[in-house]
Amino acid sequence: MTVATTTHAPTGTVSLHAILRIAGWIGLGLIAVAVSLSDFLANAPANATGIGPLLAAPSAEFRFGTDILGRDMLSETLHAMSATVRSALPATVVTLIAGALFGFVAARLPRSLALAVRSLVGILASLPALLLAVLVIGLTTRDWAAVAAGLSAAPFTFVRAFDRARIEERATHSEYARATGISASTLLRRDLVYEFSDTILSSAARALAAVTLVLSTVSFLGFGAVPPHRDLGLMIAAAKPYFLHAWWTAAFPAAALTLLILFARLAAGLDEGERA
Amino acid sequence: MLRFVLREAGRTGLGLAGAVLLAAAISALAMPGAGDGLWHFLVAWGRTLDAFAHLDFGHSAMTGATAREELAARLPLTLGLVLEGLLVALIVGIPIGFLFGAGPARRAAAPLVQVLSAAPIFCAGLALAFLAANLLHWPVPRGTGVAANLMLVPRNARDLEILLLPVLTVGLSGAAAAQLALRRAGAETARQPWRTQLRRMGLGAWEIETVYGVPQIFAGLLTDFGEVMLALFSAAAVAEWVFNYAGAADLFVKSVALHDWAIVSPILLSFAGLTMIADFIGRCAAYPLVATGAAP
Repeated sequence: MTVATTTHAPTGTVSLHAILRIAGWIGLGLIAVAVSLSDFLANAPANATGIGPLLAAPSAEFRFGTDILGRDMLSETLHAMSATVRSALPATVVTLIAGALFGFVAARLPRSLALAVRSLVGILASLPALLLAVLVIGLTTRDWAAVAAGLSAAPFTFVRAFDRARIEERATHSEYARATGISASTLLRRDLVYEFSDTILSSAARALAAVTLVLSTVSFLGFGAVPPHRDLGLMIAAAKPYFLHAWWTAAFPAAALTLLILFARLAAGLDEGERA
Repeated sequence: MLRFVLREAGRTGLGLAGAVLLAAAISALAMPGAGDGLWHFLVAWGRTLDAFAHLDFGHSAMTGATAREELAARLPLTLGLVLEGLLVALIVGIPIGFLFGAGPARRAAAPLVQVLSAAPIFCAGLALAFLAANLLHWPVPRGTGVAANLMLVPRNARDLEILLLPVLTVGLSGAAAAQLALRRAGAETARQPWRTQLRRMGLGAWEIETVYGVPQIFAGLLTDFGEVMLALFSAAAVAEWVFNYAGAADLFVKSVALHDWAIVSPILLSFAGLTMIADFIGRCAAYPLVATGAAP
């Protein structure tokens, strides 16, 4: 698989790029507030049935309507958003460690070993992340869904970090450092500090977008969250039998999920055409 | 060129060998006693590799049928879905990619592209199903019911209506991946220093774009062909689930749920192998465009 190299936007687009990035972080901040206060903001506790009439359309009383069990969709969407974010955060950490950090360190291993590891991870990168996550959950349990999502998003992140680290290794400062007798481990530490201090937020936002997509899809397929602890993917899956005549049961969770992924992508400041 | 092809073929061959090892390891889990310790697992792995060498992928724990029979029944449906989706992806993705990926519209379209590519594919599939059912009154399967057979070559309008939704879902996912690749290549090409040189030589903007820019952008799409295939396979899994079609991706998901590893491994191997081969073909096809294309 090829990986887009990090490039800087031309001067003319810097302002738009920066504005979109700030908008992404503001959006993620608002979602963090909503998730933290979900129990307070929601009108009903999670999974509380019979709050209103069955499949009531959005109204002044139930702004997002109700579902087939009379649950308030606004409250359920907030609780599910909270569940999704709570699973996505550890998954993001797994992706950063197994992908970005391991990729950067692996590139500094002896050349043959580094290329062997790169090839091995490249095989995993040639599998759809979704199927890889489903496989890992199948080999473990659903409780490991967050780790599985993190691991399934890691190969692409690994390859990107590996390739960037190889470029860094050939950079002028590395040649000077080696020529002046600075050890490989010191150089690696220096490069890691620079790499992560510069890109940690962007990498985390990018990983958050990727794992949220995988997590919600595996939940939709029945491999993620377990009822009654519903996340957005499971909420949308539960709406599948009746969303054709009750659109609000799927539309609001889907909009919330899309917004979460969109804000994460914007916050990552992806270059043109770059995938999360 | 030959050297490049041989190098890429070697890389793909190594990848395929790794995929076989991985698939055999998964399939070994289905063998009795494989879970009794590392040594037993390694023995089972070796036996599975030997069986794989004889094209014996084992038997389904659920149906008792051979994995080859299951694969022969289901894989063509998924491949058909992916190929028809690829067609949609190219028809939709290339014009959109060029419209928004090259020229003055590229920067303006960036926020729109971000919004569109943020929607998960299963949400897009459900949205398509909703529109088709309510606006066009097409038949849309509900719930997780019994899988319907996918008619890859529709015999009548009804068949076409049933087929179009999953194909469009897969195609839209592929189109998103294709236009991302085109945008990426478009952005790269826009930064190339030869543009200024060609302008100084007196060439017009249109000529620079069409004669020198377009081949480079196409090369970008071809180089990322493996990535487009990944998006298509991923979308096929979701589309088959949403629209209740009994393809190989749907079988993969159900087999993992039932721990039917003898079925899981050949499906995984097929998807990984096809992606690697597509990546290889794309890179080889892109090479002449990159090597002899624009850079004057």
